[in-house]
Amino acid sequence: MSLNMQKESKMKPKSYQDQLMTPDIPEEPLVKVENLSKLFPLSKSIFSESRSFIHAVDGVSFSIKRGESLALVGESGSGKTTTGKLLVRLLEPTKGNIHMKLGDGGNTDIAHLRGGELKRFRRHVQMIFQDPYESLNPRRTIFDTIAEPLVVQNIGDLMEREQRVMELLTLVGLAPADTFIFRFPHELSGGQRQRVAIARALVVDPTFLVADEPTSMLDVSVRTGVMNLMQELADRLGVTYLYITHDLAVARYMSNKIAVMYLGKIVELGETEEVLQNPLHPYTKALLTAVPIPDPTLKRGIPDIKGSIAKPIDPEPRCRFFERCPRADKYCEDNDHPALLEISPGHFVACYHA
Amino acid sequence: MTENVLKVENLTMHYTTRAGEVSAVDDVSFELKKGHAMGLVGESGCGKTSIAATLLRLLPDNAIIKSGQVYLDGLELVGLKEEQMRKVRWNRISMVFQAAMNALNPVYKVGDQIIEAMETHGRVETNQQARQDIEALFELVGLEPKMLDRYPHEYSGGMRQRAVIAMALSCKPELIIADEPTTALDVIVQDNLLREMTALQKKLGMSMIYISHDIAVIAEVSDHIGVMYAGRLVEMGTSEQIFKRPLHPYTFGLMSAFPSIIGPKRELTILPGEPPDLLKPPPGCRFHPRCPYATEICTQEAPPFEEISAGHQVACYHPMEVSLDVT
Repeated sequence: MSLNMQKESKMKPKSYQDQLMTPDIPEEPLVKVENLSKLFPLSKSIFSESRSFIHAVDGVSFSIKRGESLALVGESGSGKTTTGKLLVRLLEPTKGNIHMKLGDGGNTDIAHLRGGELKRFRRHVQMIFQDPYESLNPRRTIFDTIAEPLVVQNIGDLMEREQRVMELLTLVGLAPADTFIFRFPHELSGGQRQRVAIARALVVDPTFLVADEPTSMLDVSVRTGVMNLMQELADRLGVTYLYITHDLAVARYMSNKIAVMYLGKIVELGETEEVLQNPLHPYTKALLTAVPIPDPTLKRGIPDIKGSIAKPIDPEPRCRFFERCPRADKYCEDNDHPALLEISPGHFVACYHA
Repeated sequence: MTENVLKVENLTMHYTTRAGEVSAVDDVSFELKKGHAMGLVGESGCGKTSIAATLLRLLPDNAIIKSGQVYLDGLELVGLKEEQMRKVRWNRISMVFQAAMNALNPVYKVGDQIIEAMETHGRVETNQQARQDIEALFELVGLEPKMLDRYPHEYSGGMRQRAVIAMALSCKPELIIADEPTTALDVIVQDNLLREMTALQKKLGMSMIYISHDIAVIAEVSDHIGVMYAGRLVEMGTSEQIFKRPLHPYTFGLMSAFPSIIGPKRELTILPGEPPDLLKPPPGCRFHPRCPYATEICTQEAPPFEEISAGHQVACYHPMEVSLDVT
């Protein structure tokens, strides 16, 4: 039977979405996103009839298993951060479902939660932001900052909260904790601030974390420490990450799966090393070629790509990468955006020429 | 032997603040040969931008050049009067700033801003001539001449950086200092710009100083690299020497902490601790609190900046003997 199935899949590659639907996946994923879209209206005037939309996230589907970490990479404007914000529900999707298996094991669609339900959901899902200079309130002590989620979620009393905050400070490497707990953000360095932001995200013991470029503002020598810390925490606490980054080298170290986004679409998805060693989409290839190499004796090729990223305002119903693609032809022009198809086991690409 | 376009000798610069004196640049010496590109790498606060500001004498009021000389083609700059310095600036040394967004005035057309810079520095005979010159410059940096009549907000990030580069080239300087020229840009745009800057530098025979925290960017554009730590130059050599045989433990630490997408996935090592507060820099070698090889002498006396092999200098009592092959 398995032989039969293999044959079948060779003849007609299964779309990524089909595969999400098939019940033979052994373990149900922690996060399952289906056809997720977020459109932002561009209103020229309040009286104008025809409204345009920015298609920031446009029919995206993926899943993340428990303990896995998925890196979302792409240029600025590709929709990475919007996707992240949709998953923690800082934004409400225009279309699509987000199924999450949280806490008591129930599988809920969190796409349109409101009020109390949304608040309960946030206990399981947290976000770490890019800029630790902006994301911490300068007037609040480290204790107030880290304990805030506990206050919002009404967990524990003051003594318990203090103990929990001390525990987390030690966990994120700000030891001895009692020398940090009553300081203010301005007394900390960038790396220490980002550790505080990580502690704040972890204080409610979340199952799923969205990290939006958490190390891009940090210096090299400090960055590695924060990267290693996040990996260690993933192993120790069993946290599942969505790691958003523009830096492919960082993604290589922080994820086991990688999804490449371009103008609101996932164009390639697979195991991190597989995608980096054997990229199939022309956009992924160009991105990889463009990464500077810390070795003066090696010469990179020239990335094969035209122009620069545009805004996805009411995009044409064809491949989003059409304008910049070196391989685009008549077929790409006349057909819809290609589906994300499985080319080799676990490696999905949305390209007619892959 | 080509001659030096720039020679910096024992440059020391402090900022006076209410909390005390910040030792931002401490006893830095280096030379740059004509037509070469040098990279200065280091983390934020290590003094790399302060050095650039000192070379151009674009320092805030609280900065004091304590000692040292800067020779541009034999002309000493530190002792120059502001009026004379103004003739050097832009005409002989110009700078590409990090935040191209802030380097351009949003309410003037980009072309007019460049003409203004040229006028100020006496490079305009007739407006028509200037216009032609800038159109040629725009083509050189890969911008359409019609963009001259646009405002900065009509430019994308990469285009703005190109316009700033065109501005830096407008007075045909001998030396351009590029301070994190591509830091805010996406990789594909960055790749494009770095390629063009390198090609321009070769074509026009200019000398360049690239300043960046990103060792991979520096590796690609520079012939020589200076590594800075806490206001001091700790290592200097050709790009290959620095990347293949780093001598200073800090340089080695930077390399091993840097993730790469090529080669086998190796473990990233952590440099313990954080860069020191330059209000009270540690005595002796400024790296000693974070250095795994530090001995007593390191805590007492600053190591001299010495040449270990041809063209490869280091300030360390215990230089490393490693050979790195990234691939």
